Amino acid sequence: MEYNKGKKEIKLNRELNKLDRFVLDFVDLLDDYVIVSGYVSILLGRSRATEDIDLLIPEMDEKEFYDLLKKIRGRGFECINTSKEREIFDMLKEHAIRFAKIGRPIPNIEFKFIKTDMDRYSYENSIKVILNQGKMKISPIELQIAYKLFLAADGADEEIQSDKDIEDARHLYKVFNEKINKEEFLIFINKLNVRKRLRFLK
Amino acid sequence: MKVSEVKVDLEELKKFKIQNTKERLEFIDFWANYIKTHLDEDWSKQQNILIDSQIKD
Repeated sequence: MEYNKGKKEIKLNRELNKLDRFVLDFVDLLDDYVIVSGYVSILLGRSRATEDIDLLIPEMDEKEFYDLLKKIRGRGFECINTSKEREIFDMLKEHAIRFAKIGRPIPNIEFKFIKTDMDRYSYENSIKVILNQGKMKISPIELQIAYKLFLAADGADEEIQSDKDIEDARHLYKVFNEKINKEEFLIFINKLNVRKRLRFLK
Repeated sequence: MKVSEVKVDLEELKKFKIQNTKERLEFIDFWANYIKTHLDEDWSKQQNILIDSQIKD
């Protein structure tokens, strides 16, 4: 795995698994998007699976969305929340919707409009992952680690430590600790108020 | 054995939980190091056994 921070690019010669192929099949339909959260850790080696892939896209109007929906459906995906176009768009304006291959709810894409500054930062600073059979855009590693520390449930140390989000954060930190931008990382740590959780990475 | 006969030692289980968490974190460190010191093709092949076994074709 080669991470070129300046070029915002990771070259990954990994063998693809079913999850990777599912994601590539979907993102092939999109120009603008960023993948965030759990699948980022998995793509970069974490030894676990997931039932959903979180994906953010810029907001679009109804017509643009229906055009995209047509393409998504044409590729054999369905929205598992509802089949009615209007309802899908109304839901998407409020919260995430899910797309899966027809008749197979797992795995699925959790599809969401970019809403927050953190979403926007992820999108504007995405890292291109170049695989042998395609490309994907993922959230910056610094933000991913901090966000995963934030997502972990509260509780006693032993409970927090066994949380999958802490494990995801630790995995990314251990794999990329020599390469991440420490200043950027600490800014997110402070913004998300997870300084006390840094000890779970060491 | 009946359900009512099963004794649960919460203290013992708590120790197990702490040890289990420690071992999980140790494995994450081991695996992260493995990724850094082995070819992508190598570690991904192993990771894929886990992932592919959980997703239907």
